[in-house]
Amino acid sequence: MKNNSILIVDDEAIVRESLRDWLVVAGYDVSTAETAEEALKLIPKKDFSVMVLDIRLPGRTGLSILKEVKAQRPWIKSIIITAYPSDETMKEATKLGAIDYMVKPLAPDDLEHLVRETIESVGKEPTVITPPKAARKPAAKAGELKKSVVVSKQDFKNLVNNLTKTMDVYGVKPKHGKYVYDRINKADELALNYDITVSPPTVYLLPARETILKFKLGDGAKPEPVTDNTSRAIVGVHPYDIRAIEMLDEAFMTANPDPDYIARRQNTIIVGVENLNPSPKSFAPSMGTHLAENGYDLMLTDLGSKYMVAIGSKKGSDLLKRYTTTNEPTTDDIARQKEVLDEALTKYQLHLDVPRERLPKLLEDSYDDVYWQSRSETCLSCGSCVMVCPTCFCFDVQDDVALNLKEGQRIRQRDGCMLVDFAKVATGENFRQDKASRFRHRIYRKGKYVIERYGRMGCVGCGRCAVACLAEIASPLEAFNAIAASWRAKQTAQRVLREIYPESELYAPRLAQLVRVEQLAAKEKVFEVKLTDGKELGHMPGQFISVSIMGIGESPFGVASSPTRPGSFEFAVRNVGSVTNAIHNLKKGDVLGIRGPFGNGFNVKALEGKDILFIAGGIGLFPVRSLIQYVMDKRKQFGRAIVLFGARTPAERLFIDELAAWKTNPDIEFYETVDRGTPDWTGNVGVITTLIPKVQLDPRKTVAVVVGPPIMYRFVIVELKKKDLADENIIMSLERRMKCGVGKCGHCQINGIYVCQEGPVFSLAQLRNLREAV
Amino acid sequence: MKPKVAFFDFTGCEGCQLDVLNLTGEELLDLLGAIEIVNFREAISNRSDDYDIAFVEGSISREAEIPRLQKIRAQAKVLVALGACASIGGVNCLKNHLPMEQALKTVYGDAAKYYDTIPARPINAVVPVDFYVRGCPPQTVELVKVVKALLLGKKPDIPSYPVCTECKLAGNICIFELGKTCLGPVTRAGCNAICVSGGRKCWGCRGMVDEPNKNSEEEILKKHGLTPEQVMDKFNIYNTYVPEVKK
Amino acid sequence: MTQVKVDVHYVTRIEGHGNLILDANNGKIEKLLWEVPESPRFFEAMLVGRHYDDVHHIASRICGICSIAHTTASIQATEAAFGIQPSEQTILLRKLLFDAEMLESHVLHTLFLIAPDFLGVDSVIPLAATHKDVVVMALRMKKLAYNLAEALAQRKTHPLSCVVGGFTKVPDLNELKALKKRLQECLNDLDVETSIFKTLKIPDFVRETEYIALKDPKEYAWISGQIASSDAVAIPIDKYLGVTNEFCVPTSTAKYTKNKRDSYMVGALARFNLNSKQLSPRSRKVAAELGIKAPCFNPYMISVAQLVETYHIVEDAINLIDKLVERGVEEEPDRVKPRAGRGVGAVEAPRGILFHDYTYDANGIITKANCIIPTNQNHNNIQKDLEALVPKILDQPQAEIQKMMEMLVRAYDPCVSCSTHALRVTFK
Repeated sequence: MKNNSILIVDDEAIVRESLRDWLVVAGYDVSTAETAEEALKLIPKKDFSVMVLDIRLPGRTGLSILKEVKAQRPWIKSIIITAYPSDETMKEATKLGAIDYMVKPLAPDDLEHLVRETIESVGKEPTVITPPKAARKPAAKAGELKKSVVVSKQDFKNLVNNLTKTMDVYGVKPKHGKYVYDRINKADELALNYDITVSPPTVYLLPARETILKFKLGDGAKPEPVTDNTSRAIVGVHPYDIRAIEMLDEAFMTANPDPDYIARRQNTIIVGVENLNPSPKSFAPSMGTHLAENGYDLMLTDLGSKYMVAIGSKKGSDLLKRYTTTNEPTTDDIARQKEVLDEALTKYQLHLDVPRERLPKLLEDSYDDVYWQSRSETCLSCGSCVMVCPTCFCFDVQDDVALNLKEGQRIRQRDGCMLVDFAKVATGENFRQDKASRFRHRIYRKGKYVIERYGRMGCVGCGRCAVACLAEIASPLEAFNAIAASWRAKQTAQRVLREIYPESELYAPRLAQLVRVEQLAAKEKVFEVKLTDGKELGHMPGQFISVSIMGIGESPFGVASSPTRPGSFEFAVRNVGSVTNAIHNLKKGDVLGIRGPFGNGFNVKALEGKDILFIAGGIGLFPVRSLIQYVMDKRKQFGRAIVLFGARTPAERLFIDELAAWKTNPDIEFYETVDRGTPDWTGNVGVITTLIPKVQLDPRKTVAVVVGPPIMYRFVIVELKKKDLADENIIMSLERRMKCGVGKCGHCQINGIYVCQEGPVFSLAQLRNLREAV
Repeated sequence: MKPKVAFFDFTGCEGCQLDVLNLTGEELLDLLGAIEIVNFREAISNRSDDYDIAFVEGSISREAEIPRLQKIRAQAKVLVALGACASIGGVNCLKNHLPMEQALKTVYGDAAKYYDTIPARPINAVVPVDFYVRGCPPQTVELVKVVKALLLGKKPDIPSYPVCTECKLAGNICIFELGKTCLGPVTRAGCNAICVSGGRKCWGCRGMVDEPNKNSEEEILKKHGLTPEQVMDKFNIYNTYVPEVKK
Repeated sequence: MTQVKVDVHYVTRIEGHGNLILDANNGKIEKLLWEVPESPRFFEAMLVGRHYDDVHHIASRICGICSIAHTTASIQATEAAFGIQPSEQTILLRKLLFDAEMLESHVLHTLFLIAPDFLGVDSVIPLAATHKDVVVMALRMKKLAYNLAEALAQRKTHPLSCVVGGFTKVPDLNELKALKKRLQECLNDLDVETSIFKTLKIPDFVRETEYIALKDPKEYAWISGQIASSDAVAIPIDKYLGVTNEFCVPTSTAKYTKNKRDSYMVGALARFNLNSKQLSPRSRKVAAELGIKAPCFNPYMISVAQLVETYHIVEDAINLIDKLVERGVEEEPDRVKPRAGRGVGAVEAPRGILFHDYTYDANGIITKANCIIPTNQNHNNIQKDLEALVPKILDQPQAEIQKMMEMLVRAYDPCVSCSTHALRVTFK
């Protein structure tokens, strides 16, 4: 669910589009509607968190739909904008729940500020810790901030060729099917339409090694600082790398100015190029770094037959004057630039699942998440991620002495926090000894520490580390999204959309007639019922119902049949108490009360294509049966179906005809066991966990669905973990005392969640954070 | 007083010692100004048993070599393993997979004593070693670095991280991306990724880092098309010898 | 009752370990042995099961001094087995790389290993004090050879960029041009070396033997041609077994060889004797100045032959660089396709003719390997030379006898650890 989705409703195109552009650049996901009616159509389709609503609209007014929207989606925050403010409309708007009221024309950054605050204040979600530094620079309106001119491609080549005569010029070149920064001698060597380079251009500002001091040994002379004042130009720098350089500037040039960095930086001309060909691993827009407002001398946009060149500095302007003929951009040029930039934006395949402003707090709250340990298992501590990263700048300093032992140099060389000995001291103690802590530290640098310290993005979303990492674990995007998902999984209470029932049916059961009763085992019976109003129950496998025998009481039972077999549904009951006893006494034709279906059910969509390992212990078979039938009825949508069933004794086996059918069904791999055998039992004897090692599984493709007595879970999980199944792929159904079924009576709570609402089906990943569930 | 330095060699190709002479005139004179070379069979005739620092090249692959090495260790204050054979066993260890001793007895009978051979091993399997100059061959700069460090009385700055770090800093494209396989992720850096920079792959000649994630590397190699046997073959070229775990 | 006892354990200033043993009583020789106790290294067995991309990498480790020779012979054997014809560019680069090693090896041998004997010192190191310029010059030439090899293959010892089918990285032509200048200056250095060699008193000992080397009609053969002999007609290299006829002796972990006579010699003198007409004019002029004329039967003159060859090598390198600069160099893609087959590669390593013989399966995995090393082929000849020499000098002081024996061994520039590379062992 994207919480940074915004809906702008305004009939004036210019208002709609300019606000949209502004907010998109700021990193929001924006939709627009021209009329109230259109807005009402869009709202059910997408989960917006904020709506910016004009009052005067053709057709229905903004205020008139406010109430409706509030009813459908109570959590949408509405901001009213109007060119015709009045006290009445303001009061009305507030009464209807709008959170703010702004007068047109409005300053886009004010709106953005409000939107940001609004999103942060939703529910109990983490809020941004505003860094102590001054406010961000305002985002540029596309195409307007810097003066731009149009230059022919040939003229630009002349410019580059001339530069090569007076300084070292580096640019992007093709190599073995990839792209690299390298020295160029003529403009024709450049490949400016590249997607990503293997190494970043920051290597020219922070090289692998550089001498920072020279010294003589023995004569007490003061060591001499050494700087490199060679002039250079870097051609083809993408905006995310420019943003990275801005961050490095902040780190190296403000407090404790670094003379070596400064010397290189001041002698470097940066000719940027808009990225029209994003790499599949790039996620720069999510980090807000796909555009750069500053930090370049010239910024090119390839319009096809010519370049639009934004002038970023006097140096850039002088270069254009000297070597090119420039023209004013026509409206066509400007439109074309917008077109190519918009199109480029659509090419990004990867996105952050959480607004980037939330990352610092999100990370702060996730320090002990198991993700850091599990994800870093395969880390080689090879250093690839930190060496290809444009925002990484850690270094080591070592001395080298000439063989004559008379003089030497002090040398700075690149280092990285992911390397094993980075935090090791001379006594041998290592403050980040294990992979997990190093892995976590790097992600925290990228998502939290750098922005808090320097006010600049720590990760510019270039995707180089994702390409370079052989273990495929390096991408900060994956880490951020995983942490966000982990956080969301813990917050299950706030994520479930509340089912809306017509109020009349909340506590009053519907009537159902008993169509068939069958004895399954000594204490268990299965009941087939159909609703007297002729409607289907409308359930999904894994959901439960509450069955009423009026006067005796009401009890919850899992639905034991699949919705793919309409006309009736089944539930099975073990006779343990008053209500169940009363149910057991029913005869065909009797009427009983049904409420539900309740609960979340098994996520059949997520199971599609997977191999499913059903593990049912005893009466845990009842809800599992519903899923097995569902899978059988939609066989092609799923992979292997492996069913493990365990009963205490042969006499306590349930649905034995169906078990026999599963055993012979070629589409099911069926295994069965009993805890204790009898003389005539020829099958497996042993607890259900003994069946698990025998099954061959591909842990990457398999989901285990486990239901059974509480004691069974712990041991089954141990066996499943031996098979390398991930926590997210171990699904369980939990039992608690249930009464209302609708998250009100309170009896089924486990920590902060209601089993009848957020469960009864949970993944082990979710349960890891529910302490009471274990 | 200049420290006395001696060079010795056991089973190897002598390339490491040869590269010692890969210095310019000036560098050699500087070196000789700093140390006194008292024993270097390949280049000098007189020999002396009075030395402070011993550089040993080659692995131990014959019974007779063991007491010779122990004598060197007893004499030297500092013992430096020079090259892959001395440091980690090197390619000599490939023969450890062959059923040698038995075959020798069968083929040579009595004369087998001239063909005395034991499973090859690095010198630290026999005596404690103070420093290592790794690689096959080691780079002269690294040898010189160790010599300078010894003269200055400091620990040589040899990397503890894998080759990938230096490979990326050299601006190379990872050869896994080009459809090849490489042992860089578990091999100790210090060579500046010379092999990948030269268009080849890392064979692991500098030995593995202190805590290699061998499992992860094996998985990566398999993901890139190698069978488990091919993975073993790859590691075995230089890293056959696995030191016994000290209890 | 004069007793002469020479027992040199590990002759110095040779590559590898070899012992000289002489026991004589009253002019009667009881024991005279050139003993090779080098550790057997089992390369031929270790290569079995290896993929062709790793074969030359491992074979290179047979020797640190002539690793380029081994690498080249190995690659050529594999290419012969797969039926691959290398491109013209590759052949030029290989020859140039070969020149680099040859230059380094000959300079090392003549100035570092041999010259001290003649100048009355134990090594080149004391010369650093007395003949500083000579030492600087020797190191300069060595460094040039190293840098030339680096420009082509990233390093000289165990070269990198040369692989089956070509080179994985091509040299920078600007670098080659700079190296050419240094090669031209090297010729002046060689003149200085020649003037030193003119002053040396080379022992006068003659024993005619069979001389074997590669012969190529087009040029002084290094990496191509047929097996030529002073005693027989030239034959193709894949018939080498008929020439080498390896056999074991108990005193040597290296095998011996023989062809038409009891033993034969390979190396610079053999090459000179067979191919001197193909040397460059300048080298031949130097040969005349140094008093060496084909055929020469004095093994102590091997180093003189090496010095003569060195001129040719340097000039050859200059010509090759000119050719490469003129035609340009470009990256060539890897087109190697393995196939089952057997191939032989033969090159003239600094010390003589070297054979690598491989048999591959269809997946490019070696099933059989055989390597015949030049020094292998010289061990027998060294023994025979000693047997002819020692009786002639038995009346001299023991120290002098020992020195002469050591100098004889050194003259051959033996590479002992190469020669014990392998043991042919059959597993039942």
